Amino acid sequence: MSSGIRSQHSKVFFGFILILCAAIFLSGCSQNNGASRSSGSSSEENTSATSVSKDITIIHSLPNDTLDPHNTWITLRAGVTETLLRLDENMKISPWLASDWETKDDRTWVFSIREGIQFQDGTPLDAQAVKASFERGIADSKALAAALKIASMEANGQQLQITTIEPYPAFPTELVHPTTSIISVAAENQMGKEAFNNAPVGTGPFKVTSFTPGSEIHLVRNDDYWDGKAKLNEVTFKFNADANVRTLAFQSKQADIVFHLSPEMLTSIEADNELSVSSVTSLRTHYFTYNPASSSVSDHRVREALDKLIDRDSIVQDIMLGHASPANGPFNASLPFGNREGYQKLDEAGALRLLESAGYTKGSDGKFQKDGKPLTLKLIAFTGVNPELPLIPQVVQSEAAKAGITIEIVSVEYPEVYIADHTDWDMSTSSYLTSPRGDGGSFLNSAYVPGGSYNPANIQVDGLEPILKELNETGDTEKRNEITQQAVTVINKALPHSYIINPNILVGINQRVTDWKPGAEEFYIVTHTLDVK
Amino acid sequence: MVRQSFSRIIQLILVLLMLSLATFLLMKLAPGDPVLTILKANEGAVSQSDQEQVREQLGLNLPLVQQYGLWLQGVIQLDLGKSFVNNRAVWDLMMDRLPATVSLTSGAIVVLLLISVPLAILGAKYKGKWPDHLSRLFALIGASIPSFWLGLLLIYAFAFKLNWLPTMGSGNVRHLILPSITLGFVMAPEYIRLLRSGLLDALSQEYVRAARARGIAEWRVIARHALRAALLPVITIFGMSLGALLAGSVVTETLFAWPGLGSMVMEAITQRNYPVIQGYVLLTGVFIVTANVLVDLSYSLLDPRIRSGRGRNV
Repeated sequence: MSSGIRSQHSKVFFGFILILCAAIFLSGCSQNNGASRSSGSSSEENTSATSVSKDITIIHSLPNDTLDPHNTWITLRAGVTETLLRLDENMKISPWLASDWETKDDRTWVFSIREGIQFQDGTPLDAQAVKASFERGIADSKALAAALKIASMEANGQQLQITTIEPYPAFPTELVHPTTSIISVAAENQMGKEAFNNAPVGTGPFKVTSFTPGSEIHLVRNDDYWDGKAKLNEVTFKFNADANVRTLAFQSKQADIVFHLSPEMLTSIEADNELSVSSVTSLRTHYFTYNPASSSVSDHRVREALDKLIDRDSIVQDIMLGHASPANGPFNASLPFGNREGYQKLDEAGALRLLESAGYTKGSDGKFQKDGKPLTLKLIAFTGVNPELPLIPQVVQSEAAKAGITIEIVSVEYPEVYIADHTDWDMSTSSYLTSPRGDGGSFLNSAYVPGGSYNPANIQVDGLEPILKELNETGDTEKRNEITQQAVTVINKALPHSYIINPNILVGINQRVTDWKPGAEEFYIVTHTLDVK
Repeated sequence: MVRQSFSRIIQLILVLLMLSLATFLLMKLAPGDPVLTILKANEGAVSQSDQEQVREQLGLNLPLVQQYGLWLQGVIQLDLGKSFVNNRAVWDLMMDRLPATVSLTSGAIVVLLLISVPLAILGAKYKGKWPDHLSRLFALIGASIPSFWLGLLLIYAFAFKLNWLPTMGSGNVRHLILPSITLGFVMAPEYIRLLRSGLLDALSQEYVRAARARGIAEWRVIARHALRAALLPVITIFGMSLGALLAGSVVTETLFAWPGLGSMVMEAITQRNYPVIQGYVLLTGVFIVTANVLVDLSYSLLDPRIRSGRGRNV
């Protein structure tokens, strides 16, 4: 091969690399200039031209691949869509797109849809539109179909009558859930499904301008919003699953509201007086599940002893750095249906007495034993999403060791799957949102009824069945709260679980944000009242 | 030539088949239940009968062989199935994410070249002297840093402390800088080492000495003669890393909320979204195999002896 051709090839090759590097370098430089200009102008906007453009950046932890309102919470959170009913500050159900509602019998509900509301595409909101929206949701989401249990709907002007498949007094609680968002099916038909799921049309104060799956949504104000024009012009709603990056974005002032900060990073945030952190009571409960088939913990006295050995105060202070509350039942004590009694404090003496009454004696090594067998328990630890979860078993393990009980910790990714398949365990960490819709019914029905989705250990509590039956037949909220509390009393007596803590949600808020505070339900994030200084 | 291409295609299909079968079996062996995700069980009660119904609808109750057969049948008809979580076609989901991954890959390659070529040349030219030590120290540090840590460090320095660049997200070239450096930096050490030893080898060859003797400037000798000879082994590795990069760098994309294939599959794995994982693995396979074919082709471009069938022994 001639050297002329060879050198020509090499020239082409190196030339290509050089051009590539130069192009990227130059574009990087020009973008840098452009960007510094734009960041300069945005800070000017903040100080001098606030009335012209007001914008905000929010970061949440859960990435989204779609904006399909019936398959994700994000469109409601971002203020694009709304539901028929909503939760108020006290977690009580209140009207929203429906002005009021009544029940005709235990399966039939009539909702009055608020007059004078338009979707963002200009079509009016009437009962027919709501019906079409539910029909679309049921067809598109198996979860929604299973949750709503709708048999038929009749639309008449602003009146929508819904009949459920079975008696369903808790039906209104389902209608506050973000995936029951009301959307304009007319807009979807016009835009096509794919385009609609990238920029859905609802009744909310903000409209989607662009969406990058897994990364961010850009929103602009809907000037025709029915409940008063929003204070902000633009909102950028981002997602990032990494708590460190979210915190750094908050500290660098690149985001104004950031969800789910980790407690250990709070000290550095508190040092900046432009930033604040709101610690909100959550609807989640961390707890231990006891194996009903275990020879040791099937004894009520052993469970009670272990419950007394959980140092809830230490877990709240040392692991959660104060951002949690000790749990005294499945539901947060501050909720209307929460348990009013105090929580179990660390009581080693009480635990020792109980173990002795259960026939356990301390051996020469200081360890409890019965019939020559030491009291050794296997604890299945959840390595899951919350960083504090794997630490809780360690605190309990050390308290138990001091009392003379050996706890072996086995970490698994999905405890539900493990404990459904195995019998060789005694305790397991669990963590659930126990009242996501301002009602405890769904948790009680799935955690204490055999076959329920939160009941992989098949726990059954004596005397609970008639109470749950009554709860499932009651629609009145006050009455439901009362029955829920009764159920919790029965459960706490049987002690199938040890409730540990309700972790708080930590939300970083820049001081320039006004008229906004995070709620326990984490539903209503972008609102029409949200504003910046 | 035709026969060669034909056998290559058969090879490609076999590799992809094996890959998809292995992924399918591993996914089924791993714990976790997609039905609970589909029914969004973490948000509320789900009855056993609802679960059974969904399992039946999706064919998850069928024997494994049949499930795989059905998936394969779909693939032959160019249908990769739908995401369990949001009903979107897997192909569309991946095509939404591909451009972001391609731009991140290009960024990472530029960073890789900018770091490794000069450092390798310095190392080879000043063998045993301080530039060489510096380049080797750099390679050692680069090889020991985990990408998530480097990413966080860069965010801390350039986004938080200096506030020059965005912490996360996508949109313009500024967003691309930190993730590209993270990816490129972590990959660079391997290339520095390979390129440096290749250069050293080439510089000791007869033709280089002859070129020097002819009075050709040193940089010309390195750039035109030695570097080209040193590139061959580098290109082989490059083919593999290109495939891996295009498949999405899971950690970096997740850290920077970069909307590429890596962050997509990360999410799919946590949700046990089988069709998306399967589709991703298939696409990854295609990328890697294609990258390798391109590498083979580039050999002949760089080394005419291969093209003329005179063997590849350099």
